[in-house]
Amino acid sequence: MIIFRNVSYTYPGAARPVLRHLDFSLPEASFTLVVGRSGTGKSTMLRCVNGLVPHFSGGTFAGRIAVAGLDPLVAAPRGISRHVGFVFQNPEAQFVVDRVEDEIAFALESAAMPRQEMRVRVEEVLDLLDLAALRERKLETLSGGERQRVAIAAALAFRPRVLVLDEPTSQLDPQSAEDVFNALVRLNHDLGLTVLLAEHRLERVLPYADHIIALSDASDGQANYVYGPTREVLPELALVPPLVALAKALNWQPLPLTTKEGLRFSQPLVAHIPPSVPKASRQRGEPCLALRRVTVRYADRPVLRAVNLEVARGELVVLMGRNGSGKTTLLKTLVGLVRPQTGQVWVDGREVTGEDVASICRRVGYLPQEADALLYADTARQELSITLRNHALPAADDVIARHLERLGVAAYAERYPRDLSVGERQRVALGAVTVVQPVALLLDEPTRGLDYAAKEALGALLRAWRDAGMAILLVTHDVEFAARTADRVVLLSQGEVIAEGSPAEVMGSSPLFAPQMARLFPGRGWLTVEESLRGLGVASA
Amino acid sequence: MRDRLIGWSIHLASVAIGVTAFLYPFFAPALPQESFGMAHAEDAPLLLTVLVGVCFAALLVEAQRQAGSAKLVALLGVLVSLNALLRFVEVAVPGPGGFSPIFFLIVMTGYVMGGSFGFLMGALTLLVSALITAGVGPWLPYQMITAGWIGLSAPACRPLVRMLGGEGTWREVVVLALFSGIWGMVFGAIMNLWFWPYAVGPQEQHWQPGLHWTGGVLRYAAFYLATSLVWDAMRLAGNFVLTLAFGLPTLRVLRRFQQRFLFVYRPSEQVSV
Amino acid sequence: MIHPVAWLIWLGAVLVVLTTTRNPLYLAVMLAVLAAVLTRLRRVHAEETPRVPLSPLHFALIVLPLTALFNALTVHVGRTVLLRLPVTWPLVGGPITLEALTFGALNGLALVGIYTAFVVLGYAVTVRALVGLIPRAFFPVAVMTSIALTFVPVTLRHWQAIREAQAIRGHRVRGLRDHLPLFLPLLIGGLEHAFQLAEAMTARGFAAAAETPSTRRARVVVASGLLTLLAGWLLQLGWGERALGGALMLLGGGEVIGALWYLGRQVPRITYRHTPWRARDLAIALAAGVTAAAFLVPWPGLERHSIFFYPYPALRLPEVSAWLLLALTGLEVPLVLMPAARRLTIAPRMSAGDHAAPHAPEDDRRECSRTVAERGDLTESRGMATPRPLETATAPIETGERL
Repeated sequence: MIIFRNVSYTYPGAARPVLRHLDFSLPEASFTLVVGRSGTGKSTMLRCVNGLVPHFSGGTFAGRIAVAGLDPLVAAPRGISRHVGFVFQNPEAQFVVDRVEDEIAFALESAAMPRQEMRVRVEEVLDLLDLAALRERKLETLSGGERQRVAIAAALAFRPRVLVLDEPTSQLDPQSAEDVFNALVRLNHDLGLTVLLAEHRLERVLPYADHIIALSDASDGQANYVYGPTREVLPELALVPPLVALAKALNWQPLPLTTKEGLRFSQPLVAHIPPSVPKASRQRGEPCLALRRVTVRYADRPVLRAVNLEVARGELVVLMGRNGSGKTTLLKTLVGLVRPQTGQVWVDGREVTGEDVASICRRVGYLPQEADALLYADTARQELSITLRNHALPAADDVIARHLERLGVAAYAERYPRDLSVGERQRVALGAVTVVQPVALLLDEPTRGLDYAAKEALGALLRAWRDAGMAILLVTHDVEFAARTADRVVLLSQGEVIAEGSPAEVMGSSPLFAPQMARLFPGRGWLTVEESLRGLGVASA
Repeated sequence: MRDRLIGWSIHLASVAIGVTAFLYPFFAPALPQESFGMAHAEDAPLLLTVLVGVCFAALLVEAQRQAGSAKLVALLGVLVSLNALLRFVEVAVPGPGGFSPIFFLIVMTGYVMGGSFGFLMGALTLLVSALITAGVGPWLPYQMITAGWIGLSAPACRPLVRMLGGEGTWREVVVLALFSGIWGMVFGAIMNLWFWPYAVGPQEQHWQPGLHWTGGVLRYAAFYLATSLVWDAMRLAGNFVLTLAFGLPTLRVLRRFQQRFLFVYRPSEQVSV
Repeated sequence: MIHPVAWLIWLGAVLVVLTTTRNPLYLAVMLAVLAAVLTRLRRVHAEETPRVPLSPLHFALIVLPLTALFNALTVHVGRTVLLRLPVTWPLVGGPITLEALTFGALNGLALVGIYTAFVVLGYAVTVRALVGLIPRAFFPVAVMTSIALTFVPVTLRHWQAIREAQAIRGHRVRGLRDHLPLFLPLLIGGLEHAFQLAEAMTARGFAAAAETPSTRRARVVVASGLLTLLAGWLLQLGWGERALGGALMLLGGGEVIGALWYLGRQVPRITYRHTPWRARDLAIALAAGVTAAAFLVPWPGLERHSIFFYPYPALRLPEVSAWLLLALTGLEVPLVLMPAARRLTIAPRMSAGDHAAPHAPEDDRRECSRTVAERGDLTESRGMATPRPLETATAPIETGERL
């Protein structure tokens, strides 16, 4: 269905090719996963399939591609669009019309399809993606997951035989991502649609993928990819979901891809180990951030109800909860972006309720969900100095240089921040809010859109800051990240704290928030691969 | 070559018709009253609207021909939405006088991305902001074509800037600030003209001995002084100051993205198989 | 719902009447008709009032004194002198007459009428339907407009996020330049969004219409049409060649419009939403056409001269033609044919488990079910679980919504 023959591609002005000697053919009705760190050319490869590369980007292209018998280079994106549906990352920036039905019909309209035929097509995809109930809704009223399903529906309006998706769930919460994946699996299984998906959330999609293309930064001259059936390629990857990592460490064969498959191996191993009580949460130091009986209402709808929360110096607290449970509001209340109706906010031993945001943020760093909204300067260095100037602090070059160094982005000091990868951009944004050396740091969904390596690095950085005495409060949906980083986990539901304790206590028992290891070894209090290996008495590799 | 000739003649002809239309009320009184009699006097606003409409349509077709690639269509859509919201801010919170932040981006995009782009940016900003604030009215075609002209004429600053020392200097920003300041004033004066025939009424009443076209100009001047001078002066000052303050960084951002949006793929040069 | 094109024709006729006549009686009748239509529309759309920046009444309060005073101060003709200003004062010096004051007020009245007519349009035709009226020749422009409207909520949300993000890093708005950290990220974000959108549109087959020899020829016709038009007009204005100039203008205008029509046909496009043109739309359009014709063309026996009303030299009662009064009632036809105020309570709630918007306006939902009904055979089995409202059986598919 999709054939790459010795494809190499170099961006205009780039020193070396981003794709090198790609050579594979994906069979019809296959479900292929594209993995690799950011910057290894996943998006570029996908865009080759429908000709956006090089038609949109220029650059030097070599080799041949055939998609449904067409050469994207010759047919151009427009010609390919009938055969390949394409879904992009950002659920906000791919719509032309503001209603579900009209958006799906847009491509058909400009292709001048007869109206009767158009209606058939629209009805078809509305049903395929379970959108019939939303057909007349305005897109702005939809959730991110619903929007991505609309984007998929719109991409399928031409009845293409191939669907290409470029990290369609990276901006979504796990529940919405799940909806999107389910839709994809249905399309692949029931219709035989060929699916090519780039994705960071491997743990959810691995069971469905029959092949993997893994891209890497191989040295020059060599091909920088591996292609093969899922179970054959997985062992060669460095960064994989915890289940696969554990299976590799314990040499489980065949490689389990789901918890169900894993339990067959894990249950016999722990039969002799009695379930242990999770350890009590450790002693806390003096509180650095505190909310005391804080209530927040938006237009009479309570968002936070008499919430009490403390974060001590040198403590990393993870706040979890469903969408709309008030997590982001809680963070905003701490820095004064939202004023509580009742209750007090304390920072570093002083009540700051009602103070203005700028002065609170002198001592509290806050990385918002859309970290890009922070960045507008020409270089990363300038971003940091802008913050210092805002706070009327001296913007000394060595302070900035040292801070960039600490964040591991010193190499990008003079680069245009918006051109960097998601992870690097986030680092610069983090630099911009922490260059004032705050005593506390708040982060809203910092792992969104990050690959495993970037998450790992972020975790290490946060743990180092915590050890240096910073109070860190982090909101995330990412259970694996929470399990690896948190000292304490707080669960929020409908504006109230419903559970609080060590990660093992809170996450070990909850089916919704349990990481893969807790599902494999229930009741043992092991949340990470390292803990599991230690618990099993196996030396970690 | 032939393409450019056609383009130029469409632009020049429509500018000439537009200018005549806007000046029409001044020499209308001097027109002889003949065959068609009085009836024509009252049709003037209708005739003007039709003529302005025809010009506008011709310019629009010409502009969309050049800014019709998917990238520019998307860019125009998004920037128009952004700019229209700036106007929305102005409607919600009346700023100082006639000041409106929309002209800034029209001039900047026209200057960087080209006249056709600027024309569409100007015309559509006014259209979309009228749609989202329910401000559709008889003035809309005039506003659209005038704002379009602002964007269309912005590249005219380029030679002057080149003469004065080139891109990225403060001189460039001053030239653009003066340019948008002057247009702020002219925009107001032109906008009054749609209203003018109604304010004056049909020509019969001027038709008195001794009243010449200069009388029309004089009356217009008085009208202008009374109704809009302060307003337009604010707009001039606002545009000028805004461009000075925001000009350089905005130009840098637009130039940074310029290549990406104007890129056109040519297979022969790009591929080596 | 009345077809948007029918409303446009109606609006055109109203504008013809308002720009041609200054007869106070006709103006008064016209305003009364407009007021009636507007009141009716307001009742029909009671729950979704568009944001009109200025109500017609407010507009009248500002404009009427302005035009009346301006005319009185600058035209010193008429017999009923109210007061005299020193003749040495430029322009305003001389007698201030009741006639000039009246005439100015009449001009203002016409202006108020025009404004009201557009407010009526704002109520009668939704924003999406207006965008749908953009001719095919301007397909890219229609797409741009649609994108712009779609991106309004996105941009607003983005703006909010930027304000918060900048506040977090200690940004305070004190002077003009402090808006830069708010504006620049908005612009950059917009440029990035635009590029992503362009990719998405291209991947879905959108492309600029290709330049063909025939479209190139059409451009030449547009250019020559404009030049002919200009020449004709200059002949009229400068040399008094009314007939020749007029003919050239017609020819030139025809060329331009013909070329645009041709270019429009080159754009292959079929719209998904389709509002049928029905008998009542035809009735409205025909009635409006008759009214406009009555005011534009000097039919024998119609006493068209009564539309001209000049209070100079002395104020007198206007002449009236019964035929023209009758013609004005043609603009009331929408009032008769407009659907009755919608009984919103009929629309049933969504059944449980059906997660359609709890906050979508009732109207929207009723439209959904209508659409389903209209598509009958296709959707019967998979459509909405909603029982159909009573009107569904006869109601057509409707387009667009109110912004």
